[in-house]
Amino acid sequence: MDSEDDMLDAHDMESGDDDFYSGGTDDYNDTDDDVEPDYGLIEEDADNSAMIASHRSQKNYLVLKEEDICRHQKDDIGRVSMVLSISEVEASILLLHYRWSVSKLHDEWFADEERVRRTVGILEGPVVSTPDGGELTCGICFDSFRVEEIVSASCGHPFCPTCWTGYISTTINDGPGCLLLKCPDPSCPAAVGRDMIEKLASKEDKKKYYRYFLRSYIEDNRKMKWCPAPGCEHAIDFAAGTGSSDVSCLCSHSFCWNCTEEAHRPVDCDTVAQWIRKNSAESENMNWILANSKPCPKCKRPIEKNHGCMHMTCTPPCKYEFCWLCLNAWSDHGERTGGFYACNRYEAAKQEGLYDEAEKRREMAKNSLERYTHYYERWASNQVSRQKAIGELQKMQTVKLKKLGDIQWTPESQLKFITEAWLQIIECRRVLKWTYAYGYYLADQAKRQFFEYLQGEAESGLERLHKCVEKELEEFQHAEGPSEGFHQFRTKLTGFTSTTKTFFENLVKALENGLADVDSQAASSKSTNSKASKTKGGGKDKGSSKNGGSSRNPDDN
Amino acid sequence: MASGIARGRLTEERKSWRKNHPHGFVAKPETTNDGTVNLMIWHCTIPGKAGTDWEGGFFPLTMHFSEDYPSKPPKCKFPQGFFHPNVYPSGTVCLSILNEDYGWRPAITVKQILVGIQDLLDTPNPADPAQTDGYHLFCQDPVEYKKRVKLQSKQYPPIV
Repeated sequence: MDSEDDMLDAHDMESGDDDFYSGGTDDYNDTDDDVEPDYGLIEEDADNSAMIASHRSQKNYLVLKEEDICRHQKDDIGRVSMVLSISEVEASILLLHYRWSVSKLHDEWFADEERVRRTVGILEGPVVSTPDGGELTCGICFDSFRVEEIVSASCGHPFCPTCWTGYISTTINDGPGCLLLKCPDPSCPAAVGRDMIEKLASKEDKKKYYRYFLRSYIEDNRKMKWCPAPGCEHAIDFAAGTGSSDVSCLCSHSFCWNCTEEAHRPVDCDTVAQWIRKNSAESENMNWILANSKPCPKCKRPIEKNHGCMHMTCTPPCKYEFCWLCLNAWSDHGERTGGFYACNRYEAAKQEGLYDEAEKRREMAKNSLERYTHYYERWASNQVSRQKAIGELQKMQTVKLKKLGDIQWTPESQLKFITEAWLQIIECRRVLKWTYAYGYYLADQAKRQFFEYLQGEAESGLERLHKCVEKELEEFQHAEGPSEGFHQFRTKLTGFTSTTKTFFENLVKALENGLADVDSQAASSKSTNSKASKTKGGGKDKGSSKNGGSSRNPDDN
Repeated sequence: MASGIARGRLTEERKSWRKNHPHGFVAKPETTNDGTVNLMIWHCTIPGKAGTDWEGGFFPLTMHFSEDYPSKPPKCKFPQGFFHPNVYPSGTVCLSILNEDYGWRPAITVKQILVGIQDLLDTPNPADPAQTDGYHLFCQDPVEYKKRVKLQSKQYPPIV
């Protein structure tokens, strides 16, 4: 439990540290090469605490809680408002339009302020003048209202409050497109900002609007994503271009930044996506989606075509226009490409066989149900096993360790080796699980043999470790008093943990380089394994195995 | 809330139409068999512009307003099978200002819609085809296209 708190604190400090954060992506990159030694230290600390999946994580991301998101968002708005000398409402409109990229906004604004104002709809003054007194006709209901009752956006077009409320409500209930709301007058570019929503929307609609507003900061931002764990409301701020894409949320869910599936290192995202699609219990539905929809080439949402024409327009806020046949931008189309009903690009590509591959793959998958079942069972049982291990670890940390410490007269701080064993099991079950998805798609015979050898080694090591901590520990937990064998047990378990770790590191490395050097590695991994089983240092040999390992061993031999 | 606006606005639209409307156009709410007026459906006529191949035709168009009007645009339909590149086989008109995700704004009036559609008749938008027949002829066979348009204009003579 202690250790977990430590981790939380560390993250809190990180996300509270605005200057570091605003320093931009360069910081993240630099740390990767230059400050390696420092990271070594930090990493070891992190290893000792409860880092389930991110053993190698070099902090190229931050976890943001809702209040952090609000604060970051407010900071960005404040900064833009100050630098450009505009109101916060206007700054919000600009940021929404530029997908929260402060630097891009600055660039565009200082390059051509006028153009930015025009496209985004921030007018410098009203285009319709409002008389001092008398009556005006609302442009929506056509009723007359006293001038004081009339409400307008920056353009001055007159509408009554009731119509405004109706207009705003409809757009809010239509989805996040409401964030880019414009004046109701035809072809008026004036944006309708937060101040108008605040003044005119119902309480319920306001709540929805602010929800969209907050979500936009994550969903429209290229370097932010929500943690996909059910019920988790944290977001991840990720620095692209650095190392591993596995991230670990405060809720302890670890996932892949690229595809937002659970962390699946060393298996790549495509394999995982393919595997998950295959596993989907609703494969009938999935088949339907595959046959009748295509993902928007820009935002990836599946789109069903329910009208005749090939000109597709994704729903706001994406609004991407593309050709249904070739999935390229609509703006590239015209007479040249054979008109709109027979896209030449598509026909040409089809003849070259570009579109056949996906279909072939699907065909193959269907024919191998039996093989699939074999891999699926193993994939699924490792998943179950991992869940159980997580549960056991929690029990261990909350109750069992303390009891055990009392019985064995050992301070809890000396029992960390048990927690570590469990953490190792949890991580290994995750890796092992995904190697079954990998194995399913591995076609090359020689590679398959080597892969199965490595997988087998890793698996048997893991089973030994799992059994040791699950069964043999029992005995000490129910002993009357301190047991003689406890010290031996510690040595044994620590040894198993580190051996298993080495096995898995080999496996991960081999898969990550695509089982490239099948021959040389088969020899070297044997030697590494035998070496590792003698080593009983836990995390100490980590550095060397990480950098050198299999790639260096062939030279040694 | 919106439903309140729809009928009020349509009443006002009707009033303003009766006061003043473009020559040759008709726009009238539907009268049901028992004599009551249904403000939510309007039967309109759009004259083909003088000097174009559409001249002489008086094209019937139905506007269907929803309770969300004017937050949402009305659905405008020519008769089924109407010949025009931007009219769906069902007769529904495909026009930017009638698309709620794009050009529609609540302050667009019935008059503006009808004039907009009249304008669309002779200036189709090849970037947004809605039917195969009209689109193909428009692009590939201007002579045949012209013929079809003129023929259709004759099929819809003025209602006297």
